[in-house]
Order: sequence, then C-alpha cells, then structure tokens
Amino acid sequence: MTRLEALGGQTSKVTAPRRNLRRVFEPYVFILPTVIILITLLIYPLFYTLQASLSNFDTFTFSPATFAGFRHYERVLQDNNFWSSVRVTAAYLLAALPLQLALGVSIAFLISVQWPGSKIVRALFIIPMVVTPVVAGSMWKMLLDPLWGYVNYLLTLIGGKPVLWLADTNLALISVVIIDTWRWTPFIILIILAGIVSLDPEPVEAAKVDGANWLQRFVYVILPMLRPVILSAFLVRWLGAIKMFDIIYTATGGGPGNATEVINMYIYDTAFRSLSFERASAMSVLMVLAAFAFTFLFIRFSHWVER
Amino acid sequence: MAQTTLKQKLGTTAAAAASVVLCAAFLLPVAWMVATSLKSTSEIFAIPPTWSFEPTLEHYQRFAGQARIVSRYINTIIIAIGSSALSVIVGSMCGYALARLRLRGAGVIATLILVSRAIPPIALVVPMYLVFRPLGLLDKHITLIITYTSFLIPYVVWLSRGFFIALPTALEDAALVDGCSRLGAYFRIILPTALPGLAATMIFCIILAWNELLFALILTNREAVTIPVSLAGLAADTEQGALWGPLTAIGTLTVLPIIVFALFVQKYLVTGLAAGATSGATN
Repeated sequence: MTRLEALGGQTSKVTAPRRNLRRVFEPYVFILPTVIILITLLIYPLFYTLQASLSNFDTFTFSPATFAGFRHYERVLQDNNFWSSVRVTAAYLLAALPLQLALGVSIAFLISVQWPGSKIVRALFIIPMVVTPVVAGSMWKMLLDPLWGYVNYLLTLIGGKPVLWLADTNLALISVVIIDTWRWTPFIILIILAGIVSLDPEPVEAAKVDGANWLQRFVYVILPMLRPVILSAFLVRWLGAIKMFDIIYTATGGGPGNATEVINMYIYDTAFRSLSFERASAMSVLMVLAAFAFTFLFIRFSHWVER
Repeated sequence: MAQTTLKQKLGTTAAAAASVVLCAAFLLPVAWMVATSLKSTSEIFAIPPTWSFEPTLEHYQRFAGQARIVSRYINTIIIAIGSSALSVIVGSMCGYALARLRLRGAGVIATLILVSRAIPPIALVVPMYLVFRPLGLLDKHITLIITYTSFLIPYVVWLSRGFFIALPTALEDAALVDGCSRLGAYFRIILPTALPGLAATMIFCIILAWNELLFALILTNREAVTIPVSLAGLAADTEQGALWGPLTAIGTLTVLPIIVFALFVQKYLVTGLAAGATSGATN
C-alpha cells in the first residue's frame, strides 16, 4: 500500500494531464490497426471498383484513364450473359438455401436426441463443412462422373439408369446444389443443434406432460422457440452463398454452356478471360449493391420477426 | 408407465440409428476419396467399384512427392500461418478494445465487420489485381498474407471479443494500478491469459486461409501458388487425363490436417463461422 501510494502521490501532479490524454487516445491504439487494414483492404478496393466501372481502362498504364460515364453499365444491362448469370445465381440461392435450412433443422432435431454415441456423431458432422471447397468440387466431380462415378453405380444398383449429372444442361445446377448442400448442411445442423441444446427445457416438458407427441413438440414448441437461431443461420448461410465460386469453378467451370455460371463466375471470366476490367467492375458494383440491399432487408426482416 | 419408457427407448434407438446412417451418408464421399487415393489406377476404374482392395501409396509417392506439389504445400503453410498470426495479433487488440474500453469507433468496427461478410470477394480481388500488378506485388507470399487478413480479422475481432468479455477484470486492474499502460497490461497480462482461446482462433483462421481459392487464383501465378489453386488446375485437366489417383491423393493430403485441426477446435468452429452475422441480426 505504501509503495503504491507513495509512487502515485509523487508522480500524479506532474503527469496528470498527460495521463488523461493517454487515457483518451489509448483505446484507439487498440483499434487503429484493424481499422486501417480493413479500410485499405475492403473500402478502398470498393471505391477503386467504382472508379474503374466509370472509366476507360488503359491497359498500357494499367489504370483507369478517361471518364466513360455509365457506358459500361449500359453494356452490362444489355448483356444476355449477365442476365443469364443473374438467373442462375437466383435459382441456386432459391434452391440451396431453403433445402439446406430444412434439412439442417430436421437433422439437428434428430441428432439432439441423447444416446451414448451422440457426441461422436455430432463431432463427425464437422468434417464436410471444413473440407476444402476445391476438394469438395473435384471429389464430387469424380463421384458424379457418368461412367466411373460412384453415384451412378449406386443408382444402377437400385435399378436406375446412369445420369449425366454435370454434363446435362438441366441437371448441372441441381448437381451443384447437391454438392453445396452436402458441404453446408452440417454447418446449419450444428448451429441449430447449439440452439436446441441451449433452449429452456420447461415448455418442452410441459408439452410432454400434456401428451404432445415428438412431432407436435417439434412443430409447436421447439420450432417457434428456435426462430432467432434459424434466422441467424439463414443470414450466415446467405452471406456464404452469395460468395459461391470455388465449388462451381472446380466441378463445372460454369458449364455446360453457361448453365451453372453464377454471377461471381461471370465477373471472373469477364475480368480475366475477356480482360474487360471495366465491365467486370460495373458488374461488381451492381453485385455489391444487391448483396448489401438484400442483407439489409434480411436483417430488417429478422428484427421485425423478433418483435 | 412401463409402456412410455419402452416407447421412449424405442424412439431413442430409432433416432440413434437414423443419425448414424445420416452421418455415414455425409462422410461417405470423403471415405470414397481416401479409399480411391489408395487404389491402383486399374482398381480406381474397376466396375463394379470395390471397397476391398490392396492399398497402395503409388499416387502419393508419384505425384504428391513431386517437388512442385511440395513447394505448393510449403506456400500454403507459410501463407496460412502468416496471415492467421497477423490477423490474431491485430484483431485480438481490437476485440479487447470492444470488450473492455469505452470508445466511439465501436459502431464503425461493427459495420466494417458486417460489410466484410457481405462483400463477394470477387469485388475485392479484381481491384486488388489491378492495383498490385503495376506495383509488382503479384505472386508474392506477403501479398496473400496481407490480403487474407481482410476476411480473417473480422472473425478474430468477434471471437476474441467473446473471450475478453468472459475474462475476469481483476488481473488487468491490478496491472493498471501498478502503473502499467493499457498496451503494456494487454501484452504482458491479458494476452497470456487469453492464450488458449486465441490459439483456437488462430487454428480457425488457418482453416479458412488454407481453404481459400479466389485470392490465390488471381493474385499468384508461379511462385506463391497454393494447394487449392493447383488442385483446381488438376481438376480441370481430369477430363482428358482421368487423373483420379493424384487428384484424390492430393485432396486427401489437403483435407486431412484441416479435419484434425477442426476436431480440435470444434467448440469454436460453429460460433466462429457465425461470428459477425449473428451480431448483425441481434444488434
């Protein structure tokens, strides 16, 4: 006590203003590195993209040169391939997200039942969601191979005919959704499971006493209580799904034709195959605006539901 | 009474059986890949496919042992560890400030984190390519290490914020009274206490960085190429060459360490992946 007090008593008069200053600025020392890095790597590139989308790109100096107005946007909006990629993206999202959510919630409910091996099963469900997307894509490309693929082999075992999973224009997107669902459903399962485990057990017990069977308990008691968890699982999955690239890049490369060319693939092709950085930038701007708008809507929606 | 317990037991057994079958179905593709990587080429393309075969390491020896592939593993390790370490150091400081210090910029950071999760990376990597190319920064390890922090730091901030909130304040209060600066107290007292959680966060980051394709695909071409990029190339070539042996062998070597890591940090994995987004839904 004496030592501390003596020290404090001696120095406080001299350094009090300085120490106050330090107290005000010190928190910012902690956050400054993060803020600088994120602004440099997230916000600056976005503005650069905006600039590039409004300029004529000079491939000699490799920088946006003269102002071009909205010409690149006009070209993008008249581009059939762009709209086709928008449709493919929408179809993928509309198929994959509800499917993964429904499967995830049901399987989570199933594996929430406690038995001696349930912990091991839960741990093993982690594996698909950490498999490198590129590995998932190439692995499924082999599994879905029309001639030697294991899936077609299983299909013929039960009397089916071999199917051109990835080469058929109508089936390719469905196959991509299957691969994506394989990789991401376990993630939904584990988020929902964590939600189920932390639920208040009382209403469930009360329903049990009242004679509700397991399906009634699930639909009328557990599901409504899980609403916030399901909403945030949806939001997380949405944020992942709008970045869809790796699996399609390896499994189909966007083909056959452009049957699985989601918008991210098309921007990539426009920039690095057609070398049209301005159009790629214009599409990026539109994509980011759409992503932000929908994300904002979903967050608003979940607030509204919570209320 | 006896009837309900019997019914309950039957229900539990049915649920257990169903969850085992489902889990096996989800793991089958990975098991198939590992098995295929251990087959000889003629057995890979045998009809019907078999699960009982003489295991061979020929694909591992022939292709995974190639100097080119090994250098790509080393690249991936350098980049994954480098970017994760940088992200954990920088991001945990921010997470600490959010958890403990009263500051004005908290809203800005929460927004930056949500923005980082909602931007499709293609919108970042095209301008990065355009800026880095004239500066001669393409195809360098350091470029990937730094650009990867753009998606790693947000996770670190959110995860570490959770750890710091849970940490007792007594220790740092003592250090501050003793005349330590906040920064000094942070590095000498707080960081060591939070080490287990930060180690898990680091492993989580390594998993994400290890799996990354798009940045590496665009920002490298020879020297700093990572495993996902060369695997994607191999997968594209497989149409002509039927390179299933090397593809499954390298695939197995790529996911095996990640799976081991993931089982280590399973507790943090799901909360980690949901980080930031759930904040957006609740704030």
